[in-house]
Amino acid sequence: MATSFTLNGKPQTVDVSPDMPLLWVLRDTLNMTGTKFGCGMALCGACTVHVNGEVARSCITAISSVAGKKVTTIEGLSADGSHPVQQAWMEEDVPQCGYCQSGQIMSAVALLSKKPKPTDADIDDAMSGNICRCGTYQRIRKAIHRAAGMQSKA
Amino acid sequence: MGQGVRTALPMIIAEELCCDWRRVQVVEADLDPQYGNQLTGGSLSVRTSYETLRKAGASAREMLLSAAAIEWNVRHSECHAENGSVLHPKTSRSIAYTQLLSAAASLQPPADPPLKKQADFQIVGKSTLRTDTLQKINGAAQFGLDVRVAEMLIASVERSPVYGGTPRSFNADEVKSAPRVRAVFELKPVHLTHQFGETSGPGSRNYTCAGVAIVADSTWSALEARKLLKVEWNETPSSAESTASLREKMLQLTSQPCPVIRNDGDFEKAHSAASKKIEATYELPFLAHATMEPMNCTAHVRDGECELWVPTQVPAAAADSVAQALGIPRDRIKVHITFIGGGFGRRLIQDCAVEAALISREAGAPVQVVWTREDDIRHDFYRPAAYHAFRAGLDDRGNLLSWRHRGSSPSIETFYSGTGLSPQAAAQVDSLDFPALFVPHFRLEFAISESGMPLGYWRSVDASGNQFAISSFFDEAAHAAGRDPVEFLLATFGPPRKISVRNESIDVGRRRAVIELAAEKSNWHQPLPAGRGRGIAAASGWGSSVAQVAEVTCDAKKGTLRIDRIVCAIDCGTAVNPLGVQAQMEGAINFGLAQTLKSAITVNRGRIDQSNFHDYQVLRMSDAPGQIDVHIVPSTDPPGGCGEPGVPPVAPAVANAIFAATGKRIRHLPIRSADLHSG
Repeated sequence: MATSFTLNGKPQTVDVSPDMPLLWVLRDTLNMTGTKFGCGMALCGACTVHVNGEVARSCITAISSVAGKKVTTIEGLSADGSHPVQQAWMEEDVPQCGYCQSGQIMSAVALLSKKPKPTDADIDDAMSGNICRCGTYQRIRKAIHRAAGMQSKA
Repeated sequence: MGQGVRTALPMIIAEELCCDWRRVQVVEADLDPQYGNQLTGGSLSVRTSYETLRKAGASAREMLLSAAAIEWNVRHSECHAENGSVLHPKTSRSIAYTQLLSAAASLQPPADPPLKKQADFQIVGKSTLRTDTLQKINGAAQFGLDVRVAEMLIASVERSPVYGGTPRSFNADEVKSAPRVRAVFELKPVHLTHQFGETSGPGSRNYTCAGVAIVADSTWSALEARKLLKVEWNETPSSAESTASLREKMLQLTSQPCPVIRNDGDFEKAHSAASKKIEATYELPFLAHATMEPMNCTAHVRDGECELWVPTQVPAAAADSVAQALGIPRDRIKVHITFIGGGFGRRLIQDCAVEAALISREAGAPVQVVWTREDDIRHDFYRPAAYHAFRAGLDDRGNLLSWRHRGSSPSIETFYSGTGLSPQAAAQVDSLDFPALFVPHFRLEFAISESGMPLGYWRSVDASGNQFAISSFFDEAAHAAGRDPVEFLLATFGPPRKISVRNESIDVGRRRAVIELAAEKSNWHQPLPAGRGRGIAAASGWGSSVAQVAEVTCDAKKGTLRIDRIVCAIDCGTAVNPLGVQAQMEGAINFGLAQTLKSAITVNRGRIDQSNFHDYQVLRMSDAPGQIDVHIVPSTDPPGGCGEPGVPPVAPAVANAIFAATGKRIRHLPIRSADLHSG
């Protein structure tokens, strides 16, 4: 069955089962592997994308539910890593293994779009759905504050 | 795998090579014997590569200098290498390395090139941003699961719920008829070769899991087809095992004398005369590695050859294991190493490579074996559960006089190497762990408790659980003596000096220095308000020493705990990349806090109870301390390891802080709310 949506600003149509999760459409049908598989149950956040600007866990988002909507993945944040959140991540040297970081960044971008100057409590609320086993949490916090500062200067 | 070697190792070469760091690019090599041992693990990478890489960089530098000297017809000694060019100050000439490459490559590498003086270091020892961050923040980094090979199929495997079990029957035809399924077949268990040098003997238990493989066109098709699979399993003796039955075994073993690992002085005699005696038992659960990237491997077997794409810590072991499993020569195996989404010791084990190779051969196509999170939690090679029984005695001045530690757990060594090991070789305790050598009457005993569980190396291995037990009980001794824990720790170590033990030398001054630094930076002596407390723990290993002070706030009414701050001091000798050392400590502390506060694997009828992150809990942002302060002891000594040493002290530091805040002693992990409730 054909489902059409906007992916990173461009029109996209896929012909897959309507209940196929967006995660596997992205990774296998469209070969966009920046969005990661971590748990399949929306418990770890590795699969985080934006649907119409809101955080969505693509592992439990059926492709049919994004018909006609705007989907943004990590690849769509910038052409060259220049999004302020990506820049802040670079400056704070955040990633270790890096596997969770696509999801972390997508959640952080969504947080900052709602709360341009988040408190540590806001960060806890917004980011506790994203697990990092390498333990980069303190640097993620710093990077979010840094990005908030960068965005307010822009 | 995030440990920072893609930055630290090139830094070492670039230093001696005298090239422009900003122009360095890092390319991952395939498995290739010309590169020597490509293993990463055991906190070994920097400390075992340091001298070799310095020599390599220096050799290349000398060859470039010689090539320039020949070109200019001047003395080698008049030439000077700097920032990617050779300079001849006498005649103000310079030539870029890029102009000298073919000339230099035709020269003989020097056998013993001069190395730079550490005082002249420009790169090593400076905090340096990682070389691979851009691809990790833009989605481009290729992990094992991201590998895409033409005509690749996806496999999902239903594995025996009890380790060692086999399928008796399954509905192959029904599953085969599901959409886009290519094949359904049984996977027989395969004995795995060594991970890194263990010799396998009779009784070795490290096998892949038996199971049923489903091969399909796509990940989703494979996972959907697996929902239709029904398997009847043959039971094994391990089906009788449970967390409670193993605990009972360990308790029994430690309530009587066990094989002796260390015996100094005369514990029984000294202890009976001690002015004050304390005793306690400590317990640890099994733990899963739970790397963020679930296990996976891609293999293409064709024409008697096998190509592997695998996120592995030991590419040579992947090749060895697959060669053995397929019965083909080792040199017909090609191994590409991808980025690894977390290792922590799980990716030392080659079960995924063997599965992928066998399935690819059967399917006659390239296959990527994808583990679900449930597969990953249920079919790990776990950090063993353990039980520790302590007795200690103080003399009339409040000094430690006698100490007996009886430990029991399943043995990782016998799991891999077999049952022919001596009790000492198989023991999961270290005869050099403090306070050995610092208490006159010291006895360490250990008994292996038999278990059917698969076992593996979890970041910091035995120390991950042992240090919780040892450093917490040591803190109990300090409080029993009515002494400040830092003062008691330093007094037990005694004055700075070197102690020779076998072929090691223990530098007591270095052990003291990290404790003093952690105490100083945490304002140890400054009083805290009620409900708050500080605890200290120190541990050495992998060539480094670490001390950590935890500051916590406890609400005994609500049974809640907040980790306010961890102060960490590390002596790792020369810190090649201080920013990287800091990251390793932060990461290790958060990893250690997961076992302190959240994680446990429990067993029922030989089966793992947990399956995903709702019941195997790990540390999240809201649990992470607001502040981790890392202090690196300045040093020019050879580098020590940094991957693991930060893990062991954090659980006891937190437990000791809880005691300081509340008077409640934590004797098992993870800490539960009930442990903190008053009354």
